[in-house]
Parts: sequence; structure tokens; C-alpha cells
Amino acid sequence: MITVDGIDVGYDEIERILSHISFDVADGMFFGIIGPNGSGKTTLIKALSRTLTPQSGAIFLEEKDIASFSYRDLAREVSVVPQETNISFDFTVEDIVMMGRHPYLTRFSSETPADIEIVRHAMELTNTLRFRHRSINEISGGERQRVIIARALAQQPKILLLDEATSHLDISHEMEILSIITSLKGDVTVVAIFHDLNLAAHYCDELILLNEGRIVSIGTPAQVLTRENIRDVYGIDVLIRTNPMTGAPYVIPIVDQPVPAGGNLKIHLICGGGAGTDIMYLLHRKGYRVTTGVLCVNDSDFTTAQELDIPCVSVPPFSQVSPPALGELEKRLSDADAVLVTTMPVGPGNIDNIRILTRYPGDRIIMVEQEEVEKTSGDFTGGEADRIIAALKADGARIAGSYEELLTHLLTMKTKTKQ
Amino acid sequence: MKHRNAFVITTLLILLLASLLITVTMGPTSLSLASILEEPTAGMIFFDIRLPRVIAALLVGCGLALAGTAMQGLFKNSMADPYIIGTSSGASLGAAISIVLLGGLFLPVFAFIGAAVATFTVYMLAMHRGRAPVETLLLSGIALSMFFSAFLSFLMYSAGKSLHQIIFWLMGGFWNISWSDVWIALLIVIGCVILYAYSRDLNILSLGEEEAVHLGVNVERLKRILLFFSSFIVGIAVSIAGAIGFIGLITPHIMRLIVGPDHRVLFPSSMIAGALFLLWADTIARSFANEMPVGVITSFVGAPFFIFLLRRRMKA
Repeated sequence: MITVDGIDVGYDEIERILSHISFDVADGMFFGIIGPNGSGKTTLIKALSRTLTPQSGAIFLEEKDIASFSYRDLAREVSVVPQETNISFDFTVEDIVMMGRHPYLTRFSSETPADIEIVRHAMELTNTLRFRHRSINEISGGERQRVIIARALAQQPKILLLDEATSHLDISHEMEILSIITSLKGDVTVVAIFHDLNLAAHYCDELILLNEGRIVSIGTPAQVLTRENIRDVYGIDVLIRTNPMTGAPYVIPIVDQPVPAGGNLKIHLICGGGAGTDIMYLLHRKGYRVTTGVLCVNDSDFTTAQELDIPCVSVPPFSQVSPPALGELEKRLSDADAVLVTTMPVGPGNIDNIRILTRYPGDRIIMVEQEEVEKTSGDFTGGEADRIIAALKADGARIAGSYEELLTHLLTMKTKTKQ
Repeated sequence: MKHRNAFVITTLLILLLASLLITVTMGPTSLSLASILEEPTAGMIFFDIRLPRVIAALLVGCGLALAGTAMQGLFKNSMADPYIIGTSSGASLGAAISIVLLGGLFLPVFAFIGAAVATFTVYMLAMHRGRAPVETLLLSGIALSMFFSAFLSFLMYSAGKSLHQIIFWLMGGFWNISWSDVWIALLIVIGCVILYAYSRDLNILSLGEEEAVHLGVNVERLKRILLFFSSFIVGIAVSIAGAIGFIGLITPHIMRLIVGPDHRVLFPSSMIAGALFLLWADTIARSFANEMPVGVITSFVGAPFFIFLLRRRMKA
């Protein structure tokens, strides 16, 4: 168990990089450190590896202060994989991995067969055995980083510290190395810095989020990676989803901030069953003022509207559009400059959403009909829905066969009230 | 790999022994091995002049090559040489002071003190909160060398008749070697043994200071040991034979190409190669070049060879 007890760290007396950091890491855990650039992540790793000494507070390994360890003893407990290694001389891969045994050798002893076996095993685990006789400077960046991990493993540490060990690698090498490290879990406690929040969420049991040298949040990925935390620390807006394959939180940055391209055009979107989600993202991104409804609160389009802060007229799960909801919808429609109708499944529950449109001027309606979503839609009202749609088209409703066409239509729309 | 390195070292050792036997016979007066025992004059030349000179050249060559190897490892740079931290400029200044002020009295002592003062000053200048980063060491060494050179130039400017003596000393050579010099040169061997004991630590240090700490090396202590014993060896070598250049740069460089960067092999092979190089350079100086300063020969051979290696590495 690692206990960090109220440490303050700085390279300089005046310039303090970490302030009052306290946390515990249980044995065998994969513990991630996240935070923006300059938040103190690397400094924290340096404090844990004793490259930097805290000005106050202390770090304990199994209740023993790391300041009291000898260099050799500490290297038997803790090994470090740095972001990048520059090796000036042409040591072979095997030489480099064998250096991991240094803390176990006395000055005048040479490597025993046991050491050689440990080194071979470390190279086997990291898949580096086949190029063990090559120079460390002849192999690729991904291979070199695996060699450095092999060396760290040859130290037989209880704790493995990774200082953005994979950030220079491409995604496949990154995943490969993180999988190797995950396979050690249980025997070795891993503390790793991550830049990629999704990799952190995927691999870590616990996360610590740092900002400006202080702990913002600590806990499971789901506890730490919240929309609020990320907005506070990174200053960007994101959506948090659940990775369907792992159950870990998945962070999706909202790429660009709403720009006033849409001007003051108010759009009401009639959707349901997920048909409106993509359109909501599109319109939100383009800066239109969107409203939607009526939707059941268990509809995935409702979730999207919530995420994007789009006002939505809603009713309880699996219920019909109620009179009060219909009243509210009518108000929204009369406010709107344009109404979009998506290709969606229509049944007795939501038929009122389109029935009401017959009282609305046809030239302000745009039907979004995309061929690929045809399958998910359908008329479950015995023909009434199709008749209404046909009537709307006859009344002058425009048809948009693609999002591009939709945006073109919207550009020609004018606000009802000139401002 | 291991077998090959053992073969290289054995070959070098055999070459060294053979060279010893050959070079003792060579000089302004050539001696046959048989005549040494039969003729009293030949015996005297052999025991009082030739043998101490050959042994001194061997030990100085060995020491400079080893110190060069250690500095290259410490500075992670195969362009570093044993004089990089100001040792030679300090020794030269010390020697010049002795020549100008005392007529050359206690010259080796002054040279050694100069080397020691230079190294110590460089270390103290680079020291910051208990750490002396290698980059700062390197820069302080260059700055101090320049500063000492200014002093040296001033002394040479005001040296008058002894200018010739200073210049001769600066170029390095083994003209007046006696057995007392050899006894002092044996201290080089002690320094070599101690540095060899740290060869595995130096391997790790050559990866970088922070990584060495992670692998359990007490980096600051190791640096002090390396600097102290390298300077000790270089100080002694320079006080005996002057500031002979290029041996400490070229030898480790070439041997690293042959045996690889592992200091457990590189140290002994550089030592033997350095001894061989200086032994022959001095033999050529006294036999064919009319006692030309040996430093001229080492630089004359060394510099073009160094450029050759540099060009070859650029092509690789």
C-alpha cells in the first residue's frame, strides 16, 4: 500500500507544484493520474520515485517512509518507465534489461543464472526476447518502450510507475503495452499518468484528477470523469457515455462551441426512437436554437436533448402525448421559425406530434428523409401517419434527403420576427 | 559476444607484452636484448633510461584512456575527453607557474595541484542544492578552462626565456623520466582499479541520471567518485608527461566500436589500447623524430583518425 500523506512539492521554495496531496493506493491496483498540462502529474510521479523530495509531508510504502530507503532498496520496491529514453551508447536490448538487476547485485558480484532467468522472463512477457541481441538504438520506439518496461519488470518491483509511458506510441502499440501492464495487475501496483481520459477510464481501477497542483477528484473512473469535473479542469464541454464493451465511462469532447451561424432561427424538432439524435448534434453545433418534443423520458432522443441542454416537452415513459404536453408543443410550434419532422416510428402514442402539424403552415415544415434510416421508421397507426405526412407534403412541406440539403433549406428560412 | 570480447582483450594484452619487448630496444641508441646483460653501458641505458620511460608511457597512456572512458560515460558523450572538466588547463597553469616563478622547481607537484584545484572548482561551480548536473559540469569545465588559459597565456607572455620550456611542457613528453616518476605513476593503477569497480554503475549512469536513480544508483556519490579518481589519474599523468592530447578521446571511442559500450569490458580494453598507443607514439618520438614532443605525434595521428571515424559515423 502506498500512502501519500500531505505532501507539498516544488522545484523551488517559491514555486510550489503540488500542495497538500494525500491519498492511498491499495496493493495490486491500477491507479491513474490525470489532469491538464502543468497540473503536477509528472511531479507527483517524481515524488513517488523520490526523484524529488517533498518540502513537507511524506510518502510511505507499507508504512515505511520512502526517504529512509537506500537507493538500492528503493529500486527493489519501485521501478519507473519514463515517457522517453535517449540512450547515447549502443547497448544491446539484453544489456539494458539486465540493468534492471542492478539493485540486487553487489559491487563485485556478477549476474547469477537466477538473474539471467528473471531477465529472460521479463523479455518474454514484453515480447522483446527475439531482438535481445540488437542495439537499443536500432529498434523502433514501440519496441524500445517495451524494452524499458522489461527492464522495469526485471527489477521485480512491488510498484510500477509510468510517466506517460505510452504517449509517444501509436494506438496499437499503446494498447499492447497497457495490456502487458494490465496482465501484471495483482502482483504489481501500477501508478500511471494518462493524457487520454478514455484509456485511463478503460484501464484504471481508480483515478486521481489533478489541477493546479491540487486534487480535484479521486475515486473510480465513473466518479472522477464527470461532465462537471472535466469542464472545471480542462475547460471543455464533453459528453459522458458508457463504453458498451467495458462499462467504463467514455468521454466524448464536444468539438466546437456553438457558433451563431444559425442566428436567431428557432427550430422545433419532431423526433423519437433515436431518429433525432444526430440532427440535434448537428443543429446544436451549427448554433441553431432548437427545441424538441413531445418525447417520452425513456426515449434516447430525450437523453440527447438533456445532454445538449435542448428544451424538450416530455411525458412519462411509454405514455401517450397528454393534453398538457400537447398544449406546450403548440406553444413551441408557434414560436418556431421552422419545424423538422424526422423519419421515425409513429404509433398511437406519438401520432399527436404530427397530427398537430396539419394546422401549421406547410412552407415552414421540412421533412428529413434519409434512406438509410428508413428501416427504423414506420407507420404503426394503420395508415393515418402516412396520410398526414402526405398531406403535409401536399401543403408545401419541403423534403431534405440529406443533412446537407437540410442545412441548405434552413439557410433560406427567415425568422418570423425581424430583430 | 562475451567470447569475442575476451579474445579482443587477450589479443591486446599479447600485443602489449610484445610491444614492451620490442620498444625497450628502440631509441636513439638501439639495444639488443642480449647486449643489455653483456655490456654495462647498454645495461645502464636500459635500466636507468629506457625501462622507466617505457613503463611511464605505458601507465600514462593507460590512465588517460581510462579517464577518457569514464568522462565519456559520465557525460554520455563520446566526444568528451579526460581534460573536459578543466584538468589539463589547471595542470598547465600550475606547471607554468612553477616554471616562471620557481624555475621549474616542484613542477609535477604544481601541475597536480593545478589539476586538482581546477576539478574541485568546476564541481563546486556546478553544484546546486546537493546536485551537480552533468550539463552544468560540462559548461563550468569549458568556462574554467578558458579562464585558466587566459592566465596561462599571460604567464607565457611574461615568461621571457622560459617560454620555450613552457611550450615544451604543454606539448607533453617523456624526456626526463626516472624511476621516481614510475613509482608515482603506479598510483594510476590504484585509480584504475577503483574506477573499474564502478563499471556497472557507470553503464547505468550513461543512460541518464534520473534513470540511474530509478535503478538504484546513488548518482551524486558516483559522480563524485568518477570525477575524483579521473582527475587524480589525469593529474598524475599530466604531472609526469604534460598535457598529451587525443589519447583519452580516441582510445575509448575506438574501443567502444570494437567491444561495445559495456564498461566492464570497455575499461580494461581502453586501458590496454591507450597504453599501446602511447608506448608506440613515444617510441617513434625518441627513435625517429629526434625527441619531438610525443603530444605532437598523438595529435598528428589522432586528429585525422578521429575525423575519419566521425565521417564514417555520419554515413552510417
